[in-house]
Amino acid sequence: MEAIVALNKVVKDYPLGKLTVQALRGVDLTIAPGEFTVIAGPSGSGKTTLLNMIGCVDVPTTGSVTIAGRETGKLKDRARAKLRLEKLGFIFQTFNLIPVLSAAQNVEFPLLLHGRLGTRERQRRVAELLEAVGLAEQARQRPNELSGGQRQRVAIARALVTEPAIVLADEPTANLDSVTGLAIIDLMKEMNARRNTTFIFSTHDEHVMAHARRMVHIADGKLAEDRALAPPAATAEAPEPGATP
Amino acid sequence: MRGLARLRILFRMAWRNLFNHKAKNTVVGLLMAFGAFLVVVGTSTLASIESAMTRSVTGSVAGHLQVYSDQARDQLALFGGGFMGASDVGTLPDFSQVKTTLLAVDNVKAVVPMGIDVAEFYTQTELDHAIESLRKALDAEDDARVARMEHKIRSMATLMAEEFGNRRKIMRTKAEIDEQLAGIRRATEDAFWQELRRDPVAGVTFLDTKLAPLVDENEGYGMQYIGTDLDAFVKSFDRFELVQGTLVPSGQRGMLVNQHFYDNSLRNRVARMFDRLRKQLHEKGKTLAGDPLLQNTVKRMVRQYRRITFQLEPEEAETLERDLKALLPEVKGNLDALVQAFLDVNDANFDARYAFFQEKIVPHIELYLFDIGDVITIRSYTRSGYPKSVNLKVYGTFTFHGLEESVLAGAHNLMDIMTFRDLYGVMTDEKRAELAEIKAEVGLADVKAENAEDALFGEASDVAATPVATTSTFDELAELKKAAKQGDAAAVERFTQDDIDHGLALNVAVLLKDPSRLEETWGALYGAIGRAKLGLQVVDWRIATGMVGQFVSLAGVVLYVALIIIFIVAIFIMNNTMVMATIERATEIGTMRAIGSRRLFILGLFFCETVILGAVAGVVGGLAGYGFMAHLGNVGIPAPSDELIFLFSGPRLFPTVDSGQVLVALALIVVISVVATLFPAWVATRIQPIVAMQAKE
Ligand SMILES: Nc1ncnc2c1ncn2[C@@H]1O[C@H](COP(=O)(O)OP(=O)(O)OP(=O)(O)O)[C@@H](O)[C@H]1O
Ligand SMILES: [Mg+2]
Repeated sequence: MEAIVALNKVVKDYPLGKLTVQALRGVDLTIAPGEFTVIAGPSGSGKTTLLNMIGCVDVPTTGSVTIAGRETGKLKDRARAKLRLEKLGFIFQTFNLIPVLSAAQNVEFPLLLHGRLGTRERQRRVAELLEAVGLAEQARQRPNELSGGQRQRVAIARALVTEPAIVLADEPTANLDSVTGLAIIDLMKEMNARRNTTFIFSTHDEHVMAHARRMVHIADGKLAEDRALAPPAATAEAPEPGATP
Repeated sequence: MRGLARLRILFRMAWRNLFNHKAKNTVVGLLMAFGAFLVVVGTSTLASIESAMTRSVTGSVAGHLQVYSDQARDQLALFGGGFMGASDVGTLPDFSQVKTTLLAVDNVKAVVPMGIDVAEFYTQTELDHAIESLRKALDAEDDARVARMEHKIRSMATLMAEEFGNRRKIMRTKAEIDEQLAGIRRATEDAFWQELRRDPVAGVTFLDTKLAPLVDENEGYGMQYIGTDLDAFVKSFDRFELVQGTLVPSGQRGMLVNQHFYDNSLRNRVARMFDRLRKQLHEKGKTLAGDPLLQNTVKRMVRQYRRITFQLEPEEAETLERDLKALLPEVKGNLDALVQAFLDVNDANFDARYAFFQEKIVPHIELYLFDIGDVITIRSYTRSGYPKSVNLKVYGTFTFHGLEESVLAGAHNLMDIMTFRDLYGVMTDEKRAELAEIKAEVGLADVKAENAEDALFGEASDVAATPVATTSTFDELAELKKAAKQGDAAAVERFTQDDIDHGLALNVAVLLKDPSRLEETWGALYGAIGRAKLGLQVVDWRIATGMVGQFVSLAGVVLYVALIIIFIVAIFIMNNTMVMATIERATEIGTMRAIGSRRLFILGLFFCETVILGAVAGVVGGLAGYGFMAHLGNVGIPAPSDELIFLFSGPRLFPTVDSGQVLVALALIVVISVVATLFPAWVATRIQPIVAMQAKE
């Protein structure tokens, strides 16, 4: 199958005063559609930078990033926004919901930007996804009325609502306790399995890593290890996705 | 449909963001509401002042337009600007030509010729009064009064004889003073008075011509006047109101004194201060104890005690001294001390003293420098530089409705334009000769019809009619005065509308049928003037009233400058506040960008937020301004100073406000809020989606 993500000799330099920080030092990586990939590595190793490259919120200094067949470095700001809107979903470490919108409206938001669906279809999708992440009850609540885990579920629903090819998550569990964190990973896995959406996420957490199918390890801005993992033995103690943490 | 949904979410987010960023929006909202409030209050006050002023200025002196010579060296300033009367506004040698031309223009209702000038006036001396009294007593054959007047005049003559005797000693040439002394002595002798009873005409004429001119004149006072076609003036200016006396009869010379001028400049100072104190204490609720300014007035009033004591006859002085001693038993001293103590009023005794003053003092003093019906002598320097005097009867007092308290409107007195021309002094030789002839004729013809009193003085009317504008010595004055005393030519002289029209004016007030077509008529007047080659300029009342008229324009400039400054400051504050708020919202904006919002959406969100806020604040502020002005429209804004009474067209301005002003304020505020948002919104669009990734909770 053709790769949905392809990184070729990606180098990213950050100017830092007179110095430059080399966050990525030539990364080659391809990810096939439907993969559930974790990016691991110590703090400062370049995980976030790598996800930003894939997420088209930043472009490489040298090398190329190709997402769904389009090379991001060659796109204009507006075209990158369109690519993000259509092909990518984002889950943030800090959830980043829009505070003034309700859970349902947050989920609906990308669809409105999209502007392709009618009201009824939008509402159907929003309801379906909220149901899927187990927040049908909380649809009308504002983010500040939700717990961390609930917020991240809304974020997942929001990332998925446009049926993107890829969902990116930078340390989605870092601000959650371990039980909730695992539940979120389970939910992501379930979505991955059900919809065949490509998931790429970063983490420090050994427990979380254990759930991935493929683990890309980076250290010092370079790919250190890339291996497929066996499916985890026990997820029984993790709560069901539908259960409210 | 979908675009609509997007707009809806934009609007909803913007609306909710208003409540989500309370600190910022409260600051910005209050600023904008305040701005809207100011715009409504400012524009409606200005518009109200303008319309009030239009009413008072056009209805009192100015008319809608003023026409004057284009040769004028100064601008016409009906209410000051430069030194009043000293300005050179040129002349219109023949008003009739101007009148015909202007009246032919469409929308012109009336034209009124005018000339504004200042002069000194003199009241009659004590001796003048006594002679006048004697004349009346003789006429009425009131022997007792004749005897009293004889006594008075004889004692005055005795004093004069003494003084002239002293003067004689220091004179080098005695001939003239000997002759004068002979005259004075004659008036002290019994023979003269017996003779007078036999032949009153000769006797009084002697006193008038030989004795009266030897007395030094009373102090002169300045007065400003407008010489005009009085009938046309009264008819055309709807704010004119007669207060006392009568109008000047058509075709006769005479003067109408402004009631404000009469009360404030001609009234006995103690009486005026008493009334002013009473007004402050009773109407304004002040107390003497609590107001240093009023205490000061009392101090000044005490110093004016002579204005009472000097006016009393010996018997009156005795009576007052007795009454005051009864009232103030603790005061030691003579009448002067008593009156001073009496005038030193305080809160406790004010009402009683005021009543005492009205009852026991006022009837014995001259309350005014002259009375309605009196003849005063007005002296001016003509444009050719020599002095000119005329005697003029004061027929009545007037005021401009709503401007009773205004110093500016109160300064103008009115006189017939014939007298004005004499005082102004420019006349062609031809005209002068003609006039002299007419005067002589009319004067003589009239005498026959008049009563004996006039007949007594009619003989001399030709003397008064002699043109005096040809010589330029001060002797002329004495001559004039004598002439005036012998017989008041002016009082019997008649003139016609033709005389009024065929003569000099300085400026012409033009009143319109439809004032809203002022601009149009202005243009038409220029057209007509150009065609008739009259060499005139036309200004509207705003310009014609000088500084005062331009006050509205000035106030407008001040208001707009103030508003602009306030708005610039507001824009800065709003800009800063919003930039800070934008930076606080960076994650949110970055997130929206990351999940696919275009920059335009962010921009839209920001403008939507400010426009909503601006609209809400604009409506709130605008309505508050509307309510405030509507309230003031009921209670009125008191004029803070006498000058403002004029602008306010009365002691209180009742402003009007209309919804147009609220809409203007609203539109302005929305525009300003958009301007203030430009930079913060731009900053927001520069926020990179990557910011969302770097967020730390
Ligand atoms: N905007 C930036 N400017 C300068 N240096 C940066 C910037 N972003 C990242 N870096 C540097 O690049 C390197 C990689 O950072 P990155 O955030 O990708 O690491 P990470 O693996 O995500 O770390 P962590 O686990 O702490 O999130 C670090 O040394 C970091 O300091
Ligand atoms: Mg990171």
